[in-house]
Amino acid sequence: MKSLFAVFLLVLCSSVYSAPLQYNLTAREIAKDTWVVEGKTEDFSPANGGNIVNTAFVVTGDGVVLIDTGPSLRYGTELRQLIGSVTDKPILYVLNTHHHPDHFLGNQAFQDSPIYALPETGKLIAQQGNAFSENMYRLVGDWMRSTEVHLPGQPLSVSQLKLGQHRFRFISMTGHAGADLVVLDETTGVLFTADMVFYQRALTTPHTPDLKQWIADLKRLETLDFKLLVPGHGPVSEGRVAIVQTHAYLSWLDKRLSQAAEQGLSMNEVIELPLDKHFDQLAVARKEYVRSVAHLYERYENAMF
Amino acid sequence: MMIRLLLLTLLVTVSAVSAVSAVSAVQAVESDPIQSPMWDYTRQQFIGSAPYHFDERVKVLLPAFAENPTQVPLQIDATALAGDIERIVVWADLNPIQHIFTYYPHPDVIPKVSLRFKVQQGTAVRAAVLTQSGVWHVGSAYLDAAGGGCTTPSTTGNGSPFWESHLGETQSRSFPLASKGGVRFKFRVIHPMDTGLADAIPEFYIQQVILQNAKKESLARLELSQPVAENPVISFDLRDDLNDQAGQYQLWMRDNNGNEFEKAL
Ligand SMILES: [Zn+2]
Repeated sequence: MKSLFAVFLLVLCSSVYSAPLQYNLTAREIAKDTWVVEGKTEDFSPANGGNIVNTAFVVTGDGVVLIDTGPSLRYGTELRQLIGSVTDKPILYVLNTHHHPDHFLGNQAFQDSPIYALPETGKLIAQQGNAFSENMYRLVGDWMRSTEVHLPGQPLSVSQLKLGQHRFRFISMTGHAGADLVVLDETTGVLFTADMVFYQRALTTPHTPDLKQWIADLKRLETLDFKLLVPGHGPVSEGRVAIVQTHAYLSWLDKRLSQAAEQGLSMNEVIELPLDKHFDQLAVARKEYVRSVAHLYERYENAMF
Repeated sequence: MMIRLLLLTLLVTVSAVSAVSAVSAVQAVESDPIQSPMWDYTRQQFIGSAPYHFDERVKVLLPAFAENPTQVPLQIDATALAGDIERIVVWADLNPIQHIFTYYPHPDVIPKVSLRFKVQQGTAVRAAVLTQSGVWHVGSAYLDAAGGGCTTPSTTGNGSPFWESHLGETQSRSFPLASKGGVRFKFRVIHPMDTGLADAIPEFYIQQVILQNAKKESLARLELSQPVAENPVISFDLRDDLNDQAGQYQLWMRDNNGNEFEKAL
């Protein structure tokens, strides 16, 4: 079975490799000066090259603010060209919202701009970046060629920024990855949550400190004044609907895992349980659920003894 | 690749034919459902030339992918063969140390056990159940993995102060089994379970686990090997009528250094 699969993969790969790899990124203007490059709601694969993430940029009168750089050097390079096709303004701020590989491995293409991240994110990229990068080579293959970890050089220490006509607020959270930057453009009312919010795609939990912490962070986000929300993964939406969905999923997952631990279920039995019908339509729902059980169930199990 | 598959089939057929005296004609056409290149080798190692067949009633529960290769959840359920089981041998074809555990269930227990193990790469995982008639019933599942679980040092770290002061500490709890009646004992014991394959760290792992009743009868006995994950979490299922002496159960364990650990459940 496995060898057959390998043959299939080889055939698939050689047909992909015969054409030059290109993401063909496009940017959509969702609000004044505000562009989103939307990724697929899939898992990393050799077919999508890791383009499963949303990146965004705001073209202020003074220069460009870029939020996340994508999964590879190739992505970063295409993203830079895309920004250049929209504006001649310099890229003044590159932000890495958190230390997951699809959000910072495009940094190499922006080495001549200052790259900012929360201090903890910088530390985590320094610690884990190379392992992430290796894993991405394994998952998506040749798309990663020449990609190397380029650290964010600037620890983000301010909570406000005025650039051109735009006023940005930087909000520091921890729920998704241990250090998560949320950006609110108060001028346009666009909230860039990165992976604090997923929409129409199941969320990922490999580095959450605690689902309850994540939920507490979402409650803070719900109080913010904004019109449009750009999640880390999934479509842009109006109002709080994406936060509500993320919140509901996290509450369900937290409850599912604690109830299962109370019943003494083994990890395998928890994996086999059906998903709640509210969530089984989310992209990659089953796969991410199984991953989350692997990441988190041991904590619930230990707490129960 | 096709040639290799063909060759494999040929090999399986040939070895089956050579052992034809002990084996039914049906078996000659039974090929490994996982098509693992190691099947013939590991079968020889663990069940020798005894008669066997692949049996879907022996359930090997695994996730499709090892998200954490140092803690892969595994559950074996041979309930369909309850009362007729001599032992259950569980292994991973492509692990550097293949044997994971052998389970000797008392005829009165529910032959279902769960634990977590370490995996080095994608592999078939087998549970071979020897019945009293001498026939092996083999359940299989395939696990995909990025690898590295067996050569990664334990996180508690052999030689780290944490386990040195907590070695063998055991927490346990019992749970009523919802569906069939009965009770589940689940426990967690602090132990590095070092494989000996990580740099300069000698093997150090629990080898024996025995669950006894008040009469000192062994209800469930496990022989563990190095791939069992650190700080093992293990569950046994007992039938309801065996649970009328709460607090009378005793868990006993011993590691390869001769340390013994005991806990009343
Ligand atoms: Zn993330």
